[in-house]
Amino acid sequence: MNDMRLAERALTTGDIKISASNVDVYYGDTHAIRSVDVGIPAKTVTSFIGPSGCGKSTFLRCINRMNDSIDSARMTGTILLDGEDIYDPKVDPVQLRAKVGMVFQKPNPFPKSIYDNVAYGPRIHGLAGNRADLDVIVEKSLRRAALWDEVKDRLSAPGTGLSGGQQQRLCIARAIATEPEVLLMDEPCSALDPIATAQVEDLIDDLRSRYSVVIVTHSMQQAARVSQKTAFFHLGHLVEFGDTSHIFTNPSDERTESYITGRIG
Amino acid sequence: MSDTNHGHEPARIRPKTSLLILDERTRKRNQSEARFRFYGLLAVSAGLLALIVLVTSILNSGLSSFRQTFVTLEVSLPADKLDKKGNRDPADLRKVSTFGYAPLIAAAVAEAMVRHGIEIDGLSDKEAGAIVSKEAPAQLRDHVLANPQVLDSSQTFTFLTNGRIDGYYKGRVSAVSAGRDKNVSVAQLVLADALLAAGVLENRFNWSFFTNPDASDQRPEAAGLGVAIIGSAYMMVIVLALALPIGVAASIYLEEFAANNRLTDLIEVNIANLAAVPSIVFGILGLAIFINFAGLPQSAPIVGGLVLTLMTLPTIIIATRAALKAVPPSIRQAALGVGASKMQSVFHHVLPLAAPGILTGTIIGLARALGETAPFLLIGMVAFVREYPAAPPDGFFDPASALPVQVFNWTQRSDPAFVERASGAIIVLLVFLVLMNALAVFLRSRFERRW
Repeated sequence: MNDMRLAERALTTGDIKISASNVDVYYGDTHAIRSVDVGIPAKTVTSFIGPSGCGKSTFLRCINRMNDSIDSARMTGTILLDGEDIYDPKVDPVQLRAKVGMVFQKPNPFPKSIYDNVAYGPRIHGLAGNRADLDVIVEKSLRRAALWDEVKDRLSAPGTGLSGGQQQRLCIARAIATEPEVLLMDEPCSALDPIATAQVEDLIDDLRSRYSVVIVTHSMQQAARVSQKTAFFHLGHLVEFGDTSHIFTNPSDERTESYITGRIG
Repeated sequence: MSDTNHGHEPARIRPKTSLLILDERTRKRNQSEARFRFYGLLAVSAGLLALIVLVTSILNSGLSSFRQTFVTLEVSLPADKLDKKGNRDPADLRKVSTFGYAPLIAAAVAEAMVRHGIEIDGLSDKEAGAIVSKEAPAQLRDHVLANPQVLDSSQTFTFLTNGRIDGYYKGRVSAVSAGRDKNVSVAQLVLADALLAAGVLENRFNWSFFTNPDASDQRPEAAGLGVAIIGSAYMMVIVLALALPIGVAASIYLEEFAANNRLTDLIEVNIANLAAVPSIVFGILGLAIFINFAGLPQSAPIVGGLVLTLMTLPTIIIATRAALKAVPPSIRQAALGVGASKMQSVFHHVLPLAAPGILTGTIIGLARALGETAPFLLIGMVAFVREYPAAPPDGFFDPASALPVQVFNWTQRSDPAFVERASGAIIVLLVFLVLMNALAVFLRSRFERRW
């Protein structure tokens, strides 16, 4: 862990992008999230850390209502995106997910061409008027995902034929092609080797200038490397939330300290 | 727990043995494995043997139905006998029945015998004429009615020979059996041999087996599969047009949209049960609903098609749901993650990936429906149908036959020539089934994606 880097990291926190209050989530009888309150700032990388089963992925999936598709999941409390309640009955989750993109743990490109993978979102949201516009969006997204140079000569090749790291960057390109405001990443590097992980981490750092990025990770080093804010979850509780430098150097809660020093988790 | 034995001596110490000598246990295990392999091989061989016996016996008795003995005759068509009023009025021409045409054929045979110098003792003209099929006068009459200008001329016709003469060249009839058979005489066989030598008789491929309609007990040589093939094809079209969309729509709804509750569980169990319901039960259902209640015509492809649709739906639904289940959830999540609606995620991503499995299931369901016989017995599709059904959609309501029913029908006829016909029909049916299954295998291997 690079403590120098942590210390000199300047925070660009401005407005609160996502604000959750009193969020409880149940899977059937299991109480997975217990009254979580958190304010995630705009144009910042926020990482969720904590031991397995602590509810960090569940909370992440609440932010774009991916849990809606699980029959047994039930959620109470409010989550505001730019001050609007995303669980308001008037909100269509489809419209929400266009604003809040998601990258999953395992790279999951569609079994279609690289081009079609990236172009799918813009197509269904009607972001491109014609083929030329779409070409521009695809190129821009692939460039931003640092994948353009590797795939520009084989855009019609299947996305599933890429290496694991390339697939994950393709999924990131696909997610940012719809110009979301928030990008949720659920352990995006857990299936990648160290080199691909480094590439994706660089990418996440670049993305900060345009999006609010929320990343769930099992690797505390990764959280320290890429995020400005860190939230520590334990047994469904949000134990501590604050500046990454603060959490990793001087945690206020005993449980946080135990976790980052490797005593629990 | 495993710690409790700690400190105690193990009950039995493994003796020191050489790796080069098989111990008793290993030897026994190897023996039982060898036995198991032998049983497996035995089972596979028994299955293969049964298949070989089945196929050879069907081919043996059925292949001959694709060849037939034909006789080519010069027939004179005297107007004074066929058109007594001489005005070529179709209504008057129609009054002369096939009985009026039969003597012309007998005369033509006699004329051919004279031309080729064939004389046979104890063969009457009537007997000589009887070597030609009883179908021939009808064929002659149809030709004259269609072309009245041929009257008062001589025309060359190719007729089928009588089933017994044909059977003589297929080994079914011999001089010995002819002596006991009042339908054929030894003299007729001698005549046939002489005509064959003269080139009047010939044995060649019989296309009309695939195009002719069924024929009566008296003329097996004229019986064909035309109406049965059309009827089966019509029913397959109906089944495909109804069962595929309904089955796929139902599966997509159940698999992707319906809530997981007791009702859907109940529906699922019942669909699985329906797939196991004997087909004759569907026949009763079809009789009660489509014929007695809805008043659809008996023996029509529409009723057969509807019954087969009911029967095929569970198969298609089960196959489609399995294919949809096999699409990994990560694909659905990816689609939802970029803001696709549920419907978009299903139709853009899940369904294309499941398509090979769905098509395979559908084709297998269709193949099963094609070979189904029992339900037809109940909806009157065993009738003797000689008229070709009209072109669709009207033809769906005309009486028709079906391939398996035609097999069933022919096996019940008394004339031994129908055994060959039935086996031939089985070959045709099997060829269709093999083609459909090959298509299913091809689609599966060609389009199936792996993750």
